[in-house]
Amino acid sequence: MEASVKLTVSGLTKRFGDLEVLRQINTSIGKGEFISIVGPSGCGKTTFLRIVGGLESASAGTVSLDGRVIDGPGRDRGFVFQQDNLLPWRDILSNVGIGSEIAGIRTPEQRALTQHLLELVGLKGFEHYYPRQLSGGMRQRVNLARALAVNPDLLLMDEPFSALDAQTREIMQTELLRIWEEGRKTVLFVTHQIDEAVFLSDRVFVFARRPGRLQEIIGIDLPRPRALAIKRTPEFVALVDRIWKLIEHDVRASVIEEHAL
Amino acid sequence: MSIDAIQRSERRESPGLLRKWASRHGWAVGSVVTGLAIWEIAARGFVASKLFLASPSQIVAAIGPLWRSGELQVHFYTSALEFVLGYGAACILGIALGFLIASSRRCKQALQPWVSGLYATPTVALAPLFILWFGVGIFSKIVVVALLVIFPVIINTETGLRQTPQNLVETVRSFGASRRQIFYMVSLPAALPFIFAGLRLGIGRGLIGVVVAELFGARAGLGQLIQQSAETFNMPALFVGVVVLAVAGIVLTSGFVWLEKRLVPWGQD
Repeated sequence: MEASVKLTVSGLTKRFGDLEVLRQINTSIGKGEFISIVGPSGCGKTTFLRIVGGLESASAGTVSLDGRVIDGPGRDRGFVFQQDNLLPWRDILSNVGIGSEIAGIRTPEQRALTQHLLELVGLKGFEHYYPRQLSGGMRQRVNLARALAVNPDLLLMDEPFSALDAQTREIMQTELLRIWEEGRKTVLFVTHQIDEAVFLSDRVFVFARRPGRLQEIIGIDLPRPRALAIKRTPEFVALVDRIWKLIEHDVRASVIEEHAL
Repeated sequence: MSIDAIQRSERRESPGLLRKWASRHGWAVGSVVTGLAIWEIAARGFVASKLFLASPSQIVAAIGPLWRSGELQVHFYTSALEFVLGYGAACILGIALGFLIASSRRCKQALQPWVSGLYATPTVALAPLFILWFGVGIFSKIVVVALLVIFPVIINTETGLRQTPQNLVETVRSFGASRRQIFYMVSLPAALPFIFAGLRLGIGRGLIGVVVAELFGARAGLGQLIQQSAETFNMPALFVGVVVLAVAGIVLTSGFVWLEKRLVPWGQD
């Protein structure tokens, strides 16, 4: 299906004490693919993303990026967090530039890239604002620009729009696709929302819980570029419905458990 | 809307500077003026003897002779020197110790009991002892001031460094930040508002230290002026000392708040 493999996951298992969070994940992701991961709470999707990001280590198995085994965080991956996690004492420009600052890169090219990304996420003119002066949606744009500013091979996004209201969220989805079309980076996108996953992705990984495992992969063959109107087409609705049926049982179980706590 | 109406509405939106100032500070000024008036009336009308209370007008009148004789300047200079040296030493040492305690578990275990114990102890009570040890000169006062100021500085520095937001640490770590970079990019700036709060607390405690230490024996200083005036029942001169201290406290604290707003603007909500 894809020209070259970017990420290979083989036999990935993760335990926290006695709890098996991920069991035997095997898959590969092609260069330039947009992959979403959906599944009920506790299916290990965020843990999976954190292992790929090098923020967590695997109990068994490996994840390799371009053939190199991942053993820690690195500039070949950009992590977009659920909370924007902007440093409140830095203005927007130096928040976006923090990745290159950590790596000690101060080239005119890097500065131009940072500037270009601010423009791309629609925050030109806000360079010297502080995070607290921006809205939630704007801060998530900065979060995205910060991850893109290290020019990563792989973009890891952990429910980045979950803190936003429904309208802002839809706008951010189209914005993300617009930005993605420009560079076609490989993306791993964790979300709770099935329609978000279908709208954005080339393939949707459906995770199941207890233990967390990759249950099924659904290919999304909707034409690109996609507009929000696509969400009302029968093909789109059918895909959402199919994924929902896959996880419905697990979601009900997890909801009951959460209420019981 | 006619041009005339626009001009009128503009005028309504920008009231004069005086009105702006009055709406912001009117109540504060009014309350202080009223308080001074009640004080003046009470001192003149109800307190029979001048040995018990001096009126504001008498206090103002007492400043003149004290200034002309050069006495007030000497007292002020002595107290200011004691405060600056004691406060400065406590800040430097306190921040350093706070870093030490936050950075190592062993240091924390070794120093924590001393810090918590001495912070809770009213160390001003030891002032006579320090005068006995270090003499009636300024050194004993500097020690008392430093001892009072240092503990809130240590505790706040340590607390600030310990409360580093972990989500921000994780963020810079995802970009491959080293421990050193995590410290300078996250822990230190996150601790600054706490450190400043400790330094601000120290101002009031330091001023108390200066006066109390001087009360127990000094050659000069505002506390000594107060003490000596009390002995001679010179109420206006006593109140001059108190007023100068109060003004110093207000100026130092508000200057500090001003500085804080500029140095750690993210600390304010």
